[in-house]
Amino acid sequence: MRVPGIVFGSEELIRKAVDDRAVEQVANVATLPGIVRASYAMPDIHWGYGFPIGGVAATDVEADGVISPGGVGFDIACGVRLLRSELAWDPDVRPLVHELVTALGRSIPRGMGTNGRMRLDRGEVAMVLREGVRFPLSRGVGVKQDAELCEDGGVLEEARPDEVSDKALGRGASQLGSLGSGNHFLEVQVVEEILEPVAANAMGLFAGQVCVMIHSGSRGLGHQVCTDHVKVMDELTHRLGIEVPDRQLACAPLSHEAAERYLGAMYAAANFARANRHVLADGVREAFEGVFRRSARDLGLALVYDVSHNLAKIEEHEVDGRARRLCVHRKGATRAFGPGHSDVPAAYRSIGQPVVIPGSMGTASYVLVGFETSAARSFGSTCHGAGRAMSRTKAKKTKTGAEVARALEDQGIVLAPAHTALLSEEAPYAYKDVSEVVRSCEGSGLSRVVARLRPVGVVKG
Amino acid sequence: MPTVAGYELLEHTADLGIRAWAPTAPEALEHAARALAEIMGVALPGPGTRRTVQVSATDEPGVLVAFLNELIWLHEAESVGFAEIDVIAASDQDLIAEVETVTLQEAPGGLGVKAATYHQLEVGRHPGAGVEVRVFLDV
Repeated sequence: MRVPGIVFGSEELIRKAVDDRAVEQVANVATLPGIVRASYAMPDIHWGYGFPIGGVAATDVEADGVISPGGVGFDIACGVRLLRSELAWDPDVRPLVHELVTALGRSIPRGMGTNGRMRLDRGEVAMVLREGVRFPLSRGVGVKQDAELCEDGGVLEEARPDEVSDKALGRGASQLGSLGSGNHFLEVQVVEEILEPVAANAMGLFAGQVCVMIHSGSRGLGHQVCTDHVKVMDELTHRLGIEVPDRQLACAPLSHEAAERYLGAMYAAANFARANRHVLADGVREAFEGVFRRSARDLGLALVYDVSHNLAKIEEHEVDGRARRLCVHRKGATRAFGPGHSDVPAAYRSIGQPVVIPGSMGTASYVLVGFETSAARSFGSTCHGAGRAMSRTKAKKTKTGAEVARALEDQGIVLAPAHTALLSEEAPYAYKDVSEVVRSCEGSGLSRVVARLRPVGVVKG
Repeated sequence: MPTVAGYELLEHTADLGIRAWAPTAPEALEHAARALAEIMGVALPGPGTRRTVQVSATDEPGVLVAFLNELIWLHEAESVGFAEIDVIAASDQDLIAEVETVTLQEAPGGLGVKAATYHQLEVGRHPGAGVEVRVFLDV
């Protein structure tokens, strides 16, 4: 190990990380060339492939630091978008929740093999890779605020679409505006409790309010970008004589051409992911307008924030008293800059960057803000969700999908028709306690809790 | 270890692994590919369209990853399932397979697979008992 490993969490969560052997992966990441300060793990850490899920590692751009596609993951810029409305659960939405979830089930393409809301030709996909959310905006999809309140303004200007393979373009062309499957979902939620009134007010959140949370990523395009570049890095790691304890940690020095190509392609895929959630939000507007027979604008449907939890970014951080350019990998971890940071939208700069934390299906979700101390503690990072506690195989043996569906209905949660057989793999018992995770993040000085939301409707692939 | 060919799924906290075995490497790779098709819910009855798949990598485990990733790409980019997967030849750097693809008529009921990974990747030979491969998928 070149640096120590630091795991944030309660005693119970750290015990789980040790039992799961995820701490071994934290130690493996600590061997990456150029890594600075520590190999971090968030409280929702669990065993991944190479990097642990919930891992944060920063490498020094100017000191032979490397970039590792495994530190981003296959679902590049997978993340969460939170929309708010002016509607209250009582009396506005409760009487119509079944119709609303049914309408969302129709307007949100989901599951394997489904086409997205916007079908693109190869040339248009390349435009999305370059322009991010500006592309759908130029086609009349969404509103300007959707860019202003998205991480990075909805586009990473350093993207290099030409480094995205034709294969990736082919996979992505039919998928813009689709949810995906697995642990991706859309939920209608109610703000159950406000814990930080000033921050909540800045975000336009109030108790009893109906919101929509979307968890999705860069779809097959992002997956292919990672596949393509991991292969290149694997060959290069071997050729350069870089020793990594797990082959999935294949990497290249940031000064190397292969690293620059991957960074550019990864940023392009991130632009696709942001555009994907932007177009999905348009499907949300369509469903709400159809059910409530008012415009989305009248309903107050608006973006609170959109943030990624699988990304590597070149950022400036203070290390040993001086400013350094670092490549910060966040794999199943969310950026959480504190108050005053210039990358936080002006509307939120006084409160800190919003962080949207999806709970596992049927459990609470949270809105957080970055803490003043997050930069010094974790390069401005916090958790991304509940973190898995159980394999899919074990989850399926615990309960059937039908039993999980019934349990959701018993909680009063409306489920859009889905492949129920797969529900058990994503059931709450397969995940850690998200409430304990966010409490640990607050206790560790990474982020603080602004609001807790509960689901009333679930749309899954 | 039995010399009969087959596969099983391996537990992983977040993802899924495949262990496949057979008397020869090409057959073991074939079984890994069939496991992938079953996981995705795209092992379908034929007849379909026969086509050739060719991949290369720097070593034998890399060939396994490249092969599975090629099938994932083919399934997703062209919306097809697989009726037959026959590995014609495989070396420590190349593989040629003939696959019979079937156009998907409805959404598959399996797991979406993002990619095959290099995590704990292994191709092992057991003297007198054949070849065993292990690969983890990001689902």
